[in-house]
Amino acid sequence: MFHLSHLLSWLARFCAILAGLLLTAITLMTCASIIGREFIGRPITGDFELSGVAAGAAIALFMPLCQVRRGNIIVDFFTTRCSSNTIHRLDRLGAWLLAVCFFILAWRTGVGGLNAFQSSSGTMILGFPEWITYGFMVPAFGLTSLIASAQAIGLMDNNGSELR
Amino acid sequence: MSGLLLVAMMFGVMLTLMAARIPIAAAMFFAGAYGYVMQTGWPGFSNYLNAQAFARFASYDLSVIPLFILMGNFATQGGISRALFAFAAGITRRFKGGMAMAAVLASAAFGAICGSSVATAATITGVALPELRRHGYSGRLATGTLAAAGTLGILIPPSVPLVIYAILTEQNIAKLFAAAMIPGLIAMIGYMVVIAVYVRLVPGQAPDTDDDIPGVTRASTLSVMPILGIFLIVFGGIYGGFFTPTEGAAVGAAATLISAVLRRELSWSGFKECFYATAESSGMIFLIFLGADVMSGALALSGATNHLSTFVNGLGWSPFAIVAAILLFYVVLGAVMDELSMILLTIPIFFPLVMGLDFGMPRESVAIWFGIMVLMVVEFGLLAPPVGLNVYVVNSMAKDVPIAESYRGVMPFLVSDTLRTLLLLFFPGICLWFVGLIT
Repeated sequence: MFHLSHLLSWLARFCAILAGLLLTAITLMTCASIIGREFIGRPITGDFELSGVAAGAAIALFMPLCQVRRGNIIVDFFTTRCSSNTIHRLDRLGAWLLAVCFFILAWRTGVGGLNAFQSSSGTMILGFPEWITYGFMVPAFGLTSLIASAQAIGLMDNNGSELR
Repeated sequence: MSGLLLVAMMFGVMLTLMAARIPIAAAMFFAGAYGYVMQTGWPGFSNYLNAQAFARFASYDLSVIPLFILMGNFATQGGISRALFAFAAGITRRFKGGMAMAAVLASAAFGAICGSSVATAATITGVALPELRRHGYSGRLATGTLAAAGTLGILIPPSVPLVIYAILTEQNIAKLFAAAMIPGLIAMIGYMVVIAVYVRLVPGQAPDTDDDIPGVTRASTLSVMPILGIFLIVFGGIYGGFFTPTEGAAVGAAATLISAVLRRELSWSGFKECFYATAESSGMIFLIFLGADVMSGALALSGATNHLSTFVNGLGWSPFAIVAAILLFYVVLGAVMDELSMILLTIPIFFPLVMGLDFGMPRESVAIWFGIMVLMVVEFGLLAPPVGLNVYVVNSMAKDVPIAESYRGVMPFLVSDTLRTLLLLFFPGICLWFVGLIT
């Protein structure tokens, strides 16, 4: 089972790098579009739509690594006097709840993606198919749910420290 | 179940989960889901969820947030902070406590390309803390200064919390950034005055002189030019009407990346670390966004916001007293919650309430002024005990300073924050005139 946690964090890092490259691509495309618009009067058509759908995929792809690193903020003020055992149990409960939350998100977003595919809904100007973005979101949420489950049963207790 | 009882149950569920260390986003999500399902049944809620993640994440307006975060991380990894601090120390070396003032100046300048307080505090602390300690500054003054100066990261634009406020309230990001500029400068000067007074009143906190520090040279000036250039490109572009704030964030991220690559400070592993850090912050923010969406969706269905307005109007308080009460509430809430969760959770409730009040100002001015006020009071939560996030971050990097000393160190800065907040509460014009001037 040692390998499962490594596989999950490797996938999470892969998603984060993919998302980072998507964001970097947005920045470069935006620069190109602005230069085109200001100097030769020809922007990239629908650049803001591409930014939107790419950012949507990127943000979802950031979720797994955020979960590996337990980046989701908690309030620790009320539990400072609890024993480390209690805190450990509460943190596992938190991981379970996040696992359920991301499972629901993956499932419902999957349904939403199917709807978008069947109705061929696209963005206003370019008609960029929305299901493609959904297609990045569903596996990202599913992976996050798996990571949170692995944390909940104590498989990933290292807080992703091997990443740092 | 009556609407009000349901809302009370939702908040009960949410606060209980939060108190039990459940991630804030999940606490909001489940409390909101409970309220939603109780009102519409599962079909209504599941239908709502089908497109919600897409609607929230795949939005052009919101892409400004990960872009500003990426820009800040490129700046953090790009090694510009060392040059900034050296340059600032050259400027302030003649003053007593000058090196601490330099930390404030460097944080303000770094805040001009980074929209996060914690990132600003961590980055400047990394370069300034060892130098401050080596020159004989006390742990109390050094960590207190760095934690307080870190809040300039969100006060001086770009500012992630301000972007979130703008999106939630459908206000113009560029105008809000302009409104934050003067309060940001007042904060910077206020912090430097605090240092000047503190080192004179309390002996043994700072060396008598910082004369051994090199002054400003042509080389040190040149080394900070990229940061000035990036700031001018981003904000000159936005206010000159060349591009939107989202485009500004993209251009800024590209420029910061290019400057880091040209300085040969960014390795492939540093580049990956930029992405990982961006993943951590963006993932955290957007999951809270989604949780707060579910919570506000359920609240909107119950009509609770209207009940609150009716109740508050029934009190017969003056508008300024109501805003003061809301701000006080943020200070209290900020003692246990982080600033983004607070803004995401409460602005959809408080904003309509505030906009219904008559301050003798145009509606847009009220919206901008209230945003700046909220931004300033959530900063208290970053500094004040029991859980000041900035103080934690800075203190964790100072191995030999007890956390109580760091909290003692931020107290004088909180006095300055309080005075500035009161100043802006009673004179909204201070932040508004610059908006009129620049846009």
